[in-house]
Amino acid sequence: MIIIGEKINGFIKKTMEAIEAKDEAYLKELAQKQTDCGAAYIDICAGTMPDVERQTMEWLIGLVQDTVDTPISLDSSDPQVIVDMMPLVKRPGLINSVSKEAGKTETVFPAIKGTDWKVVALTCDSEGIPDAAADKYKIGKQIIEEAAEYGIGLDRIFIDPCVTTLGTRQDCLVEFIGAMKLLRADYPDVQFTSGLSNISFGMPFRKAINMQFLSLAMYEGMDSAIIDPISPDMQAVMHAVDALMGKDEYCMNYLSAFREGKFGK
Amino acid sequence: MSSGPLLEQISLKVQSGYVKEVVELIRLGLDHGVDPQNILDDGLLRGLDELSVRFRNSEIFIAELLQASKALKVGLDVIRDRLSANSVSLHGKMIITTVEGDLHDIGKTLIKLTLECSGIEIKDLGVDTTPAKIVESVRIYNPDILALSALLTTTMENQRKTIEALKAAGLRDGVKVIVGGAPITERFCREIGADGYATCASDVVDLVKTLLTEK
Repeated sequence: MIIIGEKINGFIKKTMEAIEAKDEAYLKELAQKQTDCGAAYIDICAGTMPDVERQTMEWLIGLVQDTVDTPISLDSSDPQVIVDMMPLVKRPGLINSVSKEAGKTETVFPAIKGTDWKVVALTCDSEGIPDAAADKYKIGKQIIEEAAEYGIGLDRIFIDPCVTTLGTRQDCLVEFIGAMKLLRADYPDVQFTSGLSNISFGMPFRKAINMQFLSLAMYEGMDSAIIDPISPDMQAVMHAVDALMGKDEYCMNYLSAFREGKFGK
Repeated sequence: MSSGPLLEQISLKVQSGYVKEVVELIRLGLDHGVDPQNILDDGLLRGLDELSVRFRNSEIFIAELLQASKALKVGLDVIRDRLSANSVSLHGKMIITTVEGDLHDIGKTLIKLTLECSGIEIKDLGVDTTPAKIVESVRIYNPDILALSALLTTTMENQRKTIEALKAAGLRDGVKVIVGGAPITERFCREIGADGYATCASDVVDLVKTLLTEK
């Protein structure tokens, strides 16, 4: 499981407060803890007002790189901000994200052409987020083909099939998984990722839905997730699913994570 | 027959989201000469009003509200032909959209569904809608309220631009404008001259009802 650690995001209240208070120690600890919990990428999203987004991003990139060697995931809705931040990042990381919304791939793909940077691609466009698997598939295919023109292969793309919310659409997971299957039929090596929390919006005991979403999506072949790796719930699901799917010989990873207190304390 | 208990039953079945029972009760009412307008006001809409209070109090969840809303819509279809044209506009007319440059859909759709459940007729322009298109839709559709969503600090300015465009088109006075989205604050709402702002679906219902009463 390729974990994209989501904690350093200005849209998360506690992180936003730490950013505003310039609480370096807290933010560095987030980078360290997420790395300790297996994050392959540390996502950085400034999330504040646009006039200070760039300087906040720069500062956060510096803090994270002072603390850990974990690659960085640059997270902004403005593709130009992402591209401008790339030179500050010491080792190739992840772009979070592009979509078929105008200007996104056009800005990002030329910038990561010929590099080792990877990219998260959302299956949405200027019309919004499609509900149906076939529509998600269509956008995913467009992006994959466009990436290929820049020499960006499937090993560098994570498709996020944009899960919608269970409370308003009870077929949201079915369509999400349907999109994965359609894309995988055309591109056996395609990789998938997703955030977890949207799906449970408006429902009670969201944790149950988020955890089962993760396990079902992993079972269906999701390669990566944008999550809080420090959460014992997430640790428990990821390790249990790997073990149950026969990917953890003698359950060694599950057992050592348990001993390290990553879950079940 | 006295229509009171029957309308009460319709209201309760709407709240439980029992589509089939709602339809059966409405047919029964119509057979016994109950005024379709009463069925709408004191049965269907009362049911949703009561349910939206429970939603505001966090007693029920969005999925339950949607189920009830479906019951209301199916029920409405049964009596629609017998209602006078203007009474079908329910409690009020709205347009909702996410502003230009912004693709966020979830919050906006949730608000739309919640308001529909409160008996508001609502037109959804989707996401990434330009000020020009919004102005055009306000002109054509003539809503009581326009709701603008923006989830990004980079796109919240487009709420202001949309309000400016409405002013330029001479349409601002005819419509109340409400704004919402993660980065939106009360202060921002006042600064751009919007009429109201809310942070969650249940508060929006209150806000909309207040604005409709003011109108």
